[in-house]
Amino acid sequence: MRALIIDDSRAMRSILRRIVNGLGFESAEAGDGQQALDVLESGFNPDICLIDWNMPVMDGYTFITKVRDNPEWRSMTLMMVTTESEQKQIVRALAAGAHEYVIKPFTPDAIADKLELLGLRATEVPA
Amino acid sequence: MVSASEAFAAVSALARRETGMIYDEGKEYLVEARLQPLANKAGCSFADYVTKILADPVERAKAMDALTINETSWFRDNAPYQAFTDVMLPDLIQARSATRRIRVWSAASSSGQEAYSIAMLLDQHLPPGWTSEIVASDYSPTMLDRVRAGRYTQVEMNRGLPATLLVKYFSRVGIEWEVAPHLRDMVTVRSQNLTAPFLGLGTFDLILLRNVLIYFEKDVRHDILRRMLPMLNPGGYFLIGSSETTLDSPPALAAAWQREQIGRVQVHRVAPAFADRPTAPIAASLTGA
Amino acid sequence: MSVIAPELTDLQAVVEEVWSTFVGYEHPLCVRQVPAGTPLDSGVWSGAVSVTGEWQGAVTVELADDVAVAISRVMLDVDPSESLNDDDVADAVGELVNMIGGNVKSLMPGPSALSLPAVAAGRAVFPSDAHEVARLDLLWTNQPVRITVHTPGSPR
Repeated sequence: MRALIIDDSRAMRSILRRIVNGLGFESAEAGDGQQALDVLESGFNPDICLIDWNMPVMDGYTFITKVRDNPEWRSMTLMMVTTESEQKQIVRALAAGAHEYVIKPFTPDAIADKLELLGLRATEVPA
Repeated sequence: MVSASEAFAAVSALARRETGMIYDEGKEYLVEARLQPLANKAGCSFADYVTKILADPVERAKAMDALTINETSWFRDNAPYQAFTDVMLPDLIQARSATRRIRVWSAASSSGQEAYSIAMLLDQHLPPGWTSEIVASDYSPTMLDRVRAGRYTQVEMNRGLPATLLVKYFSRVGIEWEVAPHLRDMVTVRSQNLTAPFLGLGTFDLILLRNVLIYFEKDVRHDILRRMLPMLNPGGYFLIGSSETTLDSPPALAAAWQREQIGRVQVHRVAPAFADRPTAPIAASLTGA
Repeated sequence: MSVIAPELTDLQAVVEEVWSTFVGYEHPLCVRQVPAGTPLDSGVWSGAVSVTGEWQGAVTVELADDVAVAISRVMLDVDPSESLNDDDVADAVGELVNMIGGNVKSLMPGPSALSLPAVAAGRAVFPSDAHEVARLDLLWTNQPVRITVHTPGSPR
């Protein structure tokens, strides 16, 4: 399983990287939506993108609409991970094509729960 | 004094043995995140806490609980809720077509995420014209107040609640999120110590008692399992934690609880031989078992 | 126009939630009893975000140097033996104020938009027409942490 972490803060990328790597995911990182599109174009094919909302150059919402416009990326799971927590904004992100939404601050368990909910698990844990 | 890597190896071996869950190298972050609050509570370092759980069975059970399950998450473990929607509820809808009513008991409700998770599923999947009641019970008055309020912090909301359900069933009130009034109306709050008699609760089509029995001594555990038998309506379902079992009970009690597999979820039902008899004598005949 | 400000207890809850989640529980965040206008000690980092829309305001976090460096090490997972540069501290302080500011925005009437964080090594500077509507003085490892909320315009 592969995760693309998109956040303008290196600190936040580091926190998310440790969590997803701990769950057995390979990861790549991007500092804004445009960089993330470049990573996707370069052939890194993630199972999930963890996407911040407010970023310079291209924000996470715009990134989602771009990904949804491209049929090649249809199977990719998109999860917002953002401090943006107005109810209307959550509805907007889901309508634009985000599958899940995590509000900052979050615990490592929250990310693990959501990945489980999305059916994404890197290492099989016996029942 | 143990090193961090030795401490992790010890916890990982313990988790594998006790719960069957595997924490490989690389999961140190998760293990530490889950156990650190317990270590803080015990007033010791992570490494010392690991030494403590190796020696102290009560603390060990708490640590395993913290590792394997999440007390405050929505749709905890997910699979049991999937099994409820896919198998148990359709079955109950058929079986209860005369009364068109479903009663559920969240028997150790804590802050209410289990009760409200079921409420959301019933709201979505119960046919029109049906009614339901979810009894949420706990011994802690603080927890009961929390269930009544139906309010959760941001961090709690993040735990396992699908975003689509968050926007559908919750609204923001200050720093918290509040469950929709029609879901709150489905939930009745009751004070109940599991070691005390179950009085005036009625009977249920589904009872959830997940990841709670491990906190009790064996005899108390068996007593609770015995007293749960008459609480279940004929054809009802009883759910305990995935790492818990009725198999270590005395033979008569173990036989009274029939195990059924729904996908990877194990459910319990009252064995037909016991269900045929009148309710009260079953409980009585088993008390000496 | 009446001044709309977050409740202090709500602001404190937001800060504590962000802090305990990303910095940890090891050292508590305590309330520091100081009179309004008490200056922070000289060496501080500050970060600010502004909110524009239905509610207008700015959320500022000021941290003693040692606090800023300590939280940056935790958030970036940098060992005490490794060096930390100003960019690292600016990044971590920026993310901290982003999280606090975003949650404060959700307490206020919406919809509104959150700016990207602006971070500086030094005290925060407020425009002369900004009016302080909430201030939280805290101590962490015995060092000051201050969160302030400003709205434009003068007090009523």
